[in-house]
This record gives sequence, C-alpha cells and structure tokens, in this order.
Amino acid sequence: MIKALRRAGDRRRQLGGHHAWRFAPYGGSEVIALDCETTDLDPRRAELVALAAVKVRDGRVLTSESLDLRLQRPESLSGDSIRIHGLRGVDLLGGEALGDALERLLDFIGNRPLVGWCIAYDVAVINRHLRPRTGFDLPNRTLDVCKLYARERRRVQPDIEPDMRFEVMSEALGVPVIGRHTALGDAVTTALMYLRLCHGRALSA
Amino acid sequence: MVDISLSQPPFSLLDEKGRQRVRDGVDLAYFNESEIMLDAGQPGEHVFLIHKGEVAELDLNASEGERRIGHYTAGDLFGAISILNGTSRYRFQAEQESLCYLLPRRLFEDICTAYPAFDNYFRQHLAEKARHVLQRRAEGGMSMARFMLARVAECMREPVMVEGHTTIAEAVTHLRERHADSLLVNHAGRCGMVTKTDLLDALVQQGLPQTSEVGAIAHFTLITSYADDYLFTALVSMTRHEVARVVVMEGTQVVGVVELTDVLGYFSSRAHVVSLQIEQAEDIDTLARASADLPQLIQALMAQGVKLRFAMELMAALNGRIIHKAFRFLMPETQREQSCLLVMGSEGRGEQILKTDQDNALILADGSDWPGIEEAMGTLTDTLGRLGYPPCPGNIMVSNPQWVASESAWRGKIARWASSRDPDALMNLAIMLDAHAIAGNASLLEGLREHLFARGSHDELLLSYFARGVLRYSTPLTLFGTLKRPEHGIDIKKGGLFPIVHGVRTLALERRIAATSTFARLEALVEDGRLDRPFADDLGEAMALFSELRLRQQLENLEGSDTSQESNRVVVQRLSGFERDLLREALHTVKEFKQRLSQRFHLEY
Repeated sequence: MIKALRRAGDRRRQLGGHHAWRFAPYGGSEVIALDCETTDLDPRRAELVALAAVKVRDGRVLTSESLDLRLQRPESLSGDSIRIHGLRGVDLLGGEALGDALERLLDFIGNRPLVGWCIAYDVAVINRHLRPRTGFDLPNRTLDVCKLYARERRRVQPDIEPDMRFEVMSEALGVPVIGRHTALGDAVTTALMYLRLCHGRALSA
Repeated sequence: MVDISLSQPPFSLLDEKGRQRVRDGVDLAYFNESEIMLDAGQPGEHVFLIHKGEVAELDLNASEGERRIGHYTAGDLFGAISILNGTSRYRFQAEQESLCYLLPRRLFEDICTAYPAFDNYFRQHLAEKARHVLQRRAEGGMSMARFMLARVAECMREPVMVEGHTTIAEAVTHLRERHADSLLVNHAGRCGMVTKTDLLDALVQQGLPQTSEVGAIAHFTLITSYADDYLFTALVSMTRHEVARVVVMEGTQVVGVVELTDVLGYFSSRAHVVSLQIEQAEDIDTLARASADLPQLIQALMAQGVKLRFAMELMAALNGRIIHKAFRFLMPETQREQSCLLVMGSEGRGEQILKTDQDNALILADGSDWPGIEEAMGTLTDTLGRLGYPPCPGNIMVSNPQWVASESAWRGKIARWASSRDPDALMNLAIMLDAHAIAGNASLLEGLREHLFARGSHDELLLSYFARGVLRYSTPLTLFGTLKRPEHGIDIKKGGLFPIVHGVRTLALERRIAATSTFARLEALVEDGRLDRPFADDLGEAMALFSELRLRQQLENLEGSDTSQESNRVVVQRLSGFERDLLREALHTVKEFKQRLSQRFHLEY
C-alpha cells in the first residue's frame, strides 16, 4: 500500500524528467534476473559489493547479455561477509563508483520486471542507495522465485512448509548451482529457477 | 558466467582468448522433456552444448523403429552441422529435461573464421562420411588400377607341351593331370594348339579313333602376346580373334598360355585365380605362393564391398583347401584313410579372415597302426608354418602328442573334461566343439561329436559351468548405456565377439547342433526354435560388425601404418558418429544375450 503510494508519488515527480519512461508499464517478454552481494543481511545497513543482472527471453537465459559489476570498497566491508561472497578489499580495487554502477544498472534493466531470490531484499538495498541520488525507488515490477516456488510446493504438498533455502530450491528444481555467492552466478541460477517454474513441468512430489 | 569445461575438443583447439569469447557469448536454455529443440528443415541458429540432460537425434523420413539415429548427453555438442548446411536435416528432441548452452550462429561463424583448426573439426565431421565414400571408391579404384596395370606374366600358366605324334587318349590324360584346358603341340617344327573342344570335335563330330595323333587336329595359327604386355591387351586380342586363349612368347620361345577364364577371374576378384593356384599346386612351394596371396585377396574383396560374412566363408574354404593339400602331400594315402585332421578354434568355425594360428588335432581310427606318427606330425606343423600359419601359442597342434589320439582315447578325454569342469577342461571342450574335419576320414569326427553331444547336452551342471564363460568379460557400456571410451580403445574381441561366439556355442551344445560356424549355428537355433528370428539376426549383425571393425584394424596393422595398436582394440573416439551408434546398439544386443543366457543357465550366483 505504502509502496504503491510511494511509486505513484515518484512517478508524478518524474513525469517531465528523462526517467519518466521507467514508470511506463512493460510490454515486452523479457525479464531481468538480479542479484547483489552485500556487506550485511540487514537491508537498513547493507552496503553493495557486487551487482549482477542477466536477461531472460523466450525461455533462454541470455548469459551473453549480462551485467556484472564490482563496486568500490564500502566502509562496512568486514570479515563476516567476505567469508560468504569471497570478495576481499583488494578484489574491489578498481571497482565502479556506486553512482556509476547504479546508473548502468538502471540502463540495463529499463522498465523490465525483475526476478530474484528474495528480491525484496536486493531491491530494498538498491533503493536505499538509489533514492538519495535520483529521488525515486526502482519502479519495476518484481517477481520473487521464492514465492513462485512456495506456491508451487504448497500446491503439490500442502501439508509441508516449503524449504526455501537457495540450494534446496535449486536441487528440487533440478537446476545446477552455477557459481554460488558470486553475483552473476546466483543471478543465472535464479534465472534458471524462474524458467523452470514458469515453463517446466509441474514439480513432482 | 559459464560453468563448462572447454578443455575438450573442439574447444581445446581454441586459445584462451577464443575460449573467453565462447564463455562470454553463450546463452543458457532449458528444454522440457520431449520438447523439440531443433526441427528438421529449420535453419540452424545455434550450436547446442549440453550441460545436463539427454537429447535424441531423429530421422523423420526413416521408418518407426529406425528413427533414432543419434544420442547426445552431457558435454556433447550438436547443431554445428545444421549451421554449416543452412538447415537441420534431422530433428533434435530432448529425451529428458535438458539444460543447454547455446552458441549463437554469428559467434560460431566468427570463431570458425578466426580459428581454422576449430573450423576443420566441424568440416571434418561433416565431410567424414563423404570422405569415407570417396575413400571406398578410391580403394576400389586403386585395386581396379592394379588389375589394369597387371602384366600378362602375372596371369600366365605353364605351357603343357606335347609332341605331334601323341594320341588323343594320351592328350586327355595330360589335360587331366595338369588341370589344363589346352595343350601345345610341337609338330614338324611348328607350334600348334589343341583345346578340349578340338579333342571333343575330333572324337565325336569327325569320329576319329582315340589312337589318332593330335598333330593332325591342332591349330597352327596362334594368337600370341608377350609376357610383359598388359593383361588387358591379351583380353582385347582374345575378344578380337574370338578365341579363349593366347600363347605367350618370349622371343621365339613359348613360355606360357593365358586362358580367358583366368583373365576374367583376375579382373573380377582374383578369388578364382587363387583357388586355381591352390588346386594346381603340386608341391609345397607353389602352395606357399598361393597362400601368400590370400591377404591381398581379402583386401580386394573388402574394397569391392563384399559382405564380410561371405568373405569369411571364402577364406575358410581356401584355407581349408590349402591345409587339405598340405596334408595330402605329406601323408601316405593309407594313413589318410584311417585318420582325420581337424582344425579348431576360429578356423574350425570358419571365422578367421586373415590367417590365424594353427589350432589343429588328429583323430586316428581305433586299431590303426602308424609308426613314426610323431615325426610326421612335427613335419606337418612345420609345413603349415611355412604356408603362413603361425604356430599356436597354446600349443594346440598336432605336433603336441596330447592332440593326437585314437578315437577311443578321444572319447576318454572328452568324458574326463566333461566331468572335471575345470577352466582348462572347459576350454578344451569349447575347442573340440568347434572342430571341423578338413582332411582324411571325416566320419571319425562325426562319431566323436555325437559322443560329445550325448555326454554334454543333458548335463545341466556342465552346461551351466560352460555358459559361465560368457560372463567372463564385461560389456564395454557405461551404466547409462553409452559406450565406454578409454583412450586405449575397447577390446572388441573380449567385449563383443567372445560372448556371442561362446554363448551360441553353448546353445549349440545344448541343442546338439553340428554346424561349427556361428552364423550357421544361429540359423540352426532359429530352426530349432531356441532363438527367435529377430534376435538371432541382431546377433549375427552384431557379430559381423565386430568382425569388420576388427578386420579393419588388422588390415591397418598389416599395412604397417599403425603397429602400436593391438588388433582387438577399437578406439571409439576414432569412429564416426554413425559407426559409434552401430557399435553401441551391437553391444546392447550382446548385453541382452548375456542376460538371456544368465537366466537360462542360472549364472546369477
């Protein structure tokens, strides 16, 4: 509700600006699978470390048309998150400035719908950094593979609370995990899960 | 983000930069079960590289059962040929849910241009079949050329000279003795010719007595040619003068005769010539010369595309004649009548193509007396060695006294083998089952075989032990039914030929089938109702395929181009896709046969 109001407000403010087209409803068939690596699990504190997005069109994951960005080292980069994504401070030398990276991301995704695993988290982190710069949140429609998966699971096995960990989901969907905890790898795996959920046969019990 | 190993061909032909281009350029696609990935007639837009799953290649024009012509699994690549051809000839359909990397056409073509080796890899695949066909034709052409360039001297017979005052009766005897068709007649300082037809005419048409001289009926206008003329010029002059033989001169001297049948035989396949040489040989040396021609003959036959099964039969017949002759030259007639020379193993089954080791044995009639037999048998083995049959490494030869015995002694041996059932005994029984009488008194072997069947065909315990040999070597198929691909190749003899031959042999023992060749046994087993016709046909075809692959290897070894290779090993990677599929199917047939035998003879434990 609040999100919708916010979006309406953003849209009105941008009406005459060069971002106006981002608010138009998307009519094509492509979606963007998105994944971020961050320094923290709390979206209110997390800083972006890496960003990746890959296009999905006609049942194909267009890995040839993908965006894979490393950012400049944020202040809060600590050992805890490095353990997970494996990007050390040194690895981020020469990374993009946050503003440039967000600019490129916006250009890449356009007004296409976004797909992700717990996409709300990624979008929240991005929005926190995006709003001060551009004055609006990501207006794109979002699709969460977790929710799609949970719905499918509940249909097949109504009594069991679905296990929605990334690895478990990919295993259940028969999708290979490609480069876990690298932004692009996770984005590709998510894209495959999405394809599997949209076009694949119904899950077996 | 591509999680593929690009270290396999064809990608190993690229450098790191090229591989990176592939990694950056590929897309991922997911296909449902039985989804059509690329249909026949569709333009090829991608090269497919399977990450996970299985894909079938279907020929839509083929009949229902033969549609599946290819099968691809993880790591395999397809669709490149469709790009090169423009459109796909076959339908590619996912057999399981499959995940594929798609290399777009544009990028593929760019990489092909940038890396010629990569390009060649695919062109080769495409051209492989075409090249095969051409090669076949060239081989045929080459042997044809060899015949065209043959000289008269290669096809010439020794002239049989008689004096003009020889009688017709004597002339006929000469003809018989020398297996000849014509005689040269020296009459009053001139040279003439008398043919069988001339003699017939003289006796029947003109009513001359048998005592009349041949000088009177000989023709003295001879068509001649020279020993170093091309053979086909001789053929041309025969056609022109409407005669069936030409006299070969060297200077003013007559050195030989060329017969039309010989020339035609030479041009057709030389099989006739070799068999003639064998028939006409009158000593071991001539026999050895004829015997040395056999490998060439088989090569020529294969180049002409003669079916392997018939080539094998021909070789068996020719080898049989050679050994028979050798036996006749060496042994006095009285001994020949009371003994029987057997060939065993692959020779007994008539399935060796090139010459194999001599596996032979001798049965003596009961109560016969042959002093100095050991010496005689030693000579026989040596002679066969001279004729090009290497001695048997297992020493299963007549020079080994163990394999020379009287009829009753043989019965005793068989009874002992059948009751002991140890590996050696079982092997000996198998060898004995394949025995084929080649010279001497064949009824001796028949009696013995009857005895063997009477002893063995109802002995379930023996049959079970005997059949167990089939399981000795594993079939070179993976758990998923695809071919194993070890680098040193798969052993086609152990993995394919042996189980079929031994299994069929076991069934033949059970059903008392006297034939020794595997094909004949299969036929007899179908008649008998023991095997169903389609399965027996499959086994026969599988067997023919294995033999052909093996023969090709042997011929290669013979040419010395690749001596490092063991002749029984077939390197799967070197076969074309089509042959690989055939081989896989054949091995599946073997596997099923093994299962059937396991059930029948209770081999599971």
